[in-house]
Amino acid sequence: MNDDTNRLRRRLIAGGAGALAAAGLGALSRTAFAQAATIELPIVNGKRNMVAFPEKRPLIVLTTRPPQLETPFEIFNDGLITPNDAFFVRYHNAGVPTSIDGDKHVIKIGGNAVGKPFELTMAELRSQFKPIEYVAVNQCSGNSRGLFSPRVTGGQLTNGAMGNARWVGVPLKDVLARAELKNTAKQVTFNGLDTAVFGGGDFVKSIDVNHALDGEVMLAYQMNGADIPMLNGYPVKLIVPGYYGTYWVKHLSEIEVIDGIFEGFWMKPAYRIPDNDCACIEPGTTPAATRPIGRFNVRSFITSVQDGARLRAGQQTVVRGIAFDGGQGIREVAYSTDGGQTWREAKLGNDLGRYSFREFTFAFTPDKGTYDMRVRAWNRSGQSQPMDALWQPAGYMRNVVERVSVTAA
Amino acid sequence: MNTKRIITAASSVLALCLGGMTMADAKSITLPTEAPPLKASPLPGYAKAQTNCVACHSAEYMLYQPPTAPRAYWEAMVARMKVVFKAPIDDADMPAIVDYLVKTYGNEQPK
Repeated sequence: MNDDTNRLRRRLIAGGAGALAAAGLGALSRTAFAQAATIELPIVNGKRNMVAFPEKRPLIVLTTRPPQLETPFEIFNDGLITPNDAFFVRYHNAGVPTSIDGDKHVIKIGGNAVGKPFELTMAELRSQFKPIEYVAVNQCSGNSRGLFSPRVTGGQLTNGAMGNARWVGVPLKDVLARAELKNTAKQVTFNGLDTAVFGGGDFVKSIDVNHALDGEVMLAYQMNGADIPMLNGYPVKLIVPGYYGTYWVKHLSEIEVIDGIFEGFWMKPAYRIPDNDCACIEPGTTPAATRPIGRFNVRSFITSVQDGARLRAGQQTVVRGIAFDGGQGIREVAYSTDGGQTWREAKLGNDLGRYSFREFTFAFTPDKGTYDMRVRAWNRSGQSQPMDALWQPAGYMRNVVERVSVTAA
Repeated sequence: MNTKRIITAASSVLALCLGGMTMADAKSITLPTEAPPLKASPLPGYAKAQTNCVACHSAEYMLYQPPTAPRAYWEAMVARMKVVFKAPIDDADMPAIVDYLVKTYGNEQPK
């Protein structure tokens, strides 16, 4: 494949210690990186190592400790479901659990707004409740942060901090019903086994109680038909479909129903967005007010053709891609091959559910020349993507209409 | 699901040692430990950063920031590590650490 060769030449610099040494990284331990390849992300200061962490294929290493791993974008063209061993990883603290008993693990349910606090083992969670199942995208709030212009600080990800999986678990609503919520209940907080090295900044998140009781928020114990990989939250992970991954607490161990608004570090000041319609501000300014990040906005990506690819003139190519949003479902994807001057409708693929990636395809037969290809999706509420990127200081929620330049010869 | 699951990572020897200690039904992993080091520097903050920063997290957190990252960012991050995460950083060491960070990874790097 012409496409593949180009992609490899352009993105995957080399494998082996020799390449690392040549790149000026010779001081690294030879044993650790003897097999390491590197990848050059399309951003300034974008060189990264590719390393296989436990239960993972080689992924783009944003940080080693704690692990933060980005999925190479090519994988999104392999199918609508992201394999467990390719799914992105994001921890906030370095106290990462490395050994967990998958049956004896306990979730404690309590807080000042429950009548009956109780404990639930994984064996009980699996056997005493009726499971539900759905496909849902998990996306990091800071997915694509490295592509912001002007640049913002934080984890410098490109577009691979997202993935789509089939989750099986128990509705949070059914678990909370046993705790007999008081009518003072306002929010529900979630904590996992991961810990902060010096105790400060433990990763705890919260959602409103009405959201927690919507019947969709799930305590998942299965991902794509298998146990959840350790680094994605084994043995149980909170699934908040349509919401950014920051709420999808891993190794879930404590649930508290409380009578107030939880304001721990990871709810305030972290993970806040400008409190306006676009969740955006002029670059370099400060938002007047903020709110916690919430649902995904609409995104779409061409996956079958990489930026800079060469196509054969006069030959038809079926271009494929994915679109998703925060849970309305994708209604339409349009594409342009002339930089956005004219648009046509792409064909949508199978509907795996309103929280899933939705495939789209269109046939393209280029004459000789260069083409600026764009894709733009709309959800069922008519929300779409901006032609020019919006900006916010934390680098969350990028959803610009993506462009892929190709040359036909 | 009751089979013993051991996933070996970087070092098979270490994984075997850990495997012997795990519970019967536990899933266990061994995380890679080698990571890119802090960039060496004659600045006094280099040694202090090695003691205070990479004890908790790997150096990619600094290494991959955009080279436009200003001094205010590095000051805010060092302060956050102490105030929020309770890192035992000596107040007297903080200016030197910030100076090393902004001159090595931020917008005061030598051109």
